[in-house]
Amino acid sequence: MSKATDALLDPIINNNPIALQILGICSALAVTNKMSTAFTMAIAVTIVTGCSNAAVSAIRNHIPNSIRIIVQMTIIATLVIIVDQMLKAYAYEMSKALSVYVGLIITNCIVMGRAEAYAMKAPVVESFMDGIGNGLGYGLILMLVGFVRELFGSGKIFGLTILSPVNDGGWYVTNGLMLLAPSAFFLIGFIIWGLRTWKPELQE
Amino acid sequence: MSNDSIFKTFLVAFLLCVVCSVLVCLAAIVRIDREAYNKQLEVRKTVLAAAGFQQQIDDGGNIDELFTTNMELKIVDLASGEYTDAVDPATYNQKDALENPDLSVKIPSDKDIAGMGSRAKYAAVYVTKTGDIVLPIRGAGMWGPMLGYIAVADNGSTVKGLTFYQHAETPGLGAEVDNPRWKAQWPGKEVYNGNSVAIKVVKNGSYDPKASDAANTVDGLAGATVTSTKVSNIVRYWFGDDGFGKFLANLKAKRG
Repeated sequence: MSKATDALLDPIINNNPIALQILGICSALAVTNKMSTAFTMAIAVTIVTGCSNAAVSAIRNHIPNSIRIIVQMTIIATLVIIVDQMLKAYAYEMSKALSVYVGLIITNCIVMGRAEAYAMKAPVVESFMDGIGNGLGYGLILMLVGFVRELFGSGKIFGLTILSPVNDGGWYVTNGLMLLAPSAFFLIGFIIWGLRTWKPELQE
Repeated sequence: MSNDSIFKTFLVAFLLCVVCSVLVCLAAIVRIDREAYNKQLEVRKTVLAAAGFQQQIDDGGNIDELFTTNMELKIVDLASGEYTDAVDPATYNQKDALENPDLSVKIPSDKDIAGMGSRAKYAAVYVTKTGDIVLPIRGAGMWGPMLGYIAVADNGSTVKGLTFYQHAETPGLGAEVDNPRWKAQWPGKEVYNGNSVAIKVVKNGSYDPKASDAANTVDGLAGATVTSTKVSNIVRYWFGDDGFGKFLANLKAKRG
């Protein structure tokens, strides 16, 4: 496989940012009670990591060492603001549901971590792929957690009723814990456990 | 030129700032244009839903069209309970008025059951073609402010519907205030019994359809007693003397 394909695929399972690097947990707890919000967040993070990696990589040979972190932060912050503003403009309901968490992508360690660890040393295309890959890896876990939480918490998948909940006159007694943030902690814990049992070489 | 020279450091920082600020400005320009429209649309949707137009919205009706043909904006002076032209309805913003000491009043703490601290002097209400009145309500929820609209018939007492457009209640519990099945309890309830505010939300399961006050009682949300109580207080405050009480009494007197 070429380096670019590697950079894209590796972070999805083998070097997953949430399950392996244990980064970006905060937003993974906050936005996963519905699959639609988890999906939007995953897209937003993927765009930001991809573009910030590409931008940092493009100017990596001109970034003075003394201000490199602040340069990365500025690029990331700019991208996050653009994504946030576009969501507010064209997906207003969704941006309300995500509230502050889109803005908080700035502080998501995955974005900064990839810029510093990868994009500062690699060419543009590979860096872009690495960013997209990490975004997708993050998104994959978000979708898994969102799937379980929405299915058992509200009996729905992407807002479509699967298990008809008692609140709407059905039979399924919804699991309130699934709607609260701590449940995502347990689910992510199970995912990490499962992944490391499946691939023992990932154990530390 | 070395990357780490002082000149290069300033140059890179300067160029980066210029490029980034231009991009952020462009994004903000696009957003500002659209956001005002989005917010207006949200309020219009809530007003229509409270007044019982939910079916037309679900059927794909044009919200702006439904709104402009059915709703007329009027300003009510809460102290006198009369319509007023003290402020221009087209530009009046009840939320901004809260920040303006000339347009807001402090609520005495013994009357402040909705936990708001202060309220605007003038309220922007919507009157439908059939004479129903859609009233803006606001108050403290469990986790944050709750804002919505409640509609009453032209007798000033029979509820037509209640809808919140902003709240931060717990998903699955308090946030079920958005559940259509819960909201369906509200239409037909009577706010007043004689001249006193009688409407209330009771703890889930304690609603008795045969009780003498059943017409004034709404069953609470399961697992969300706090939110139910807050909603009850908000509604009771706004129908009280400090809220729309005088306005609705005047309305009833005029109707005879």
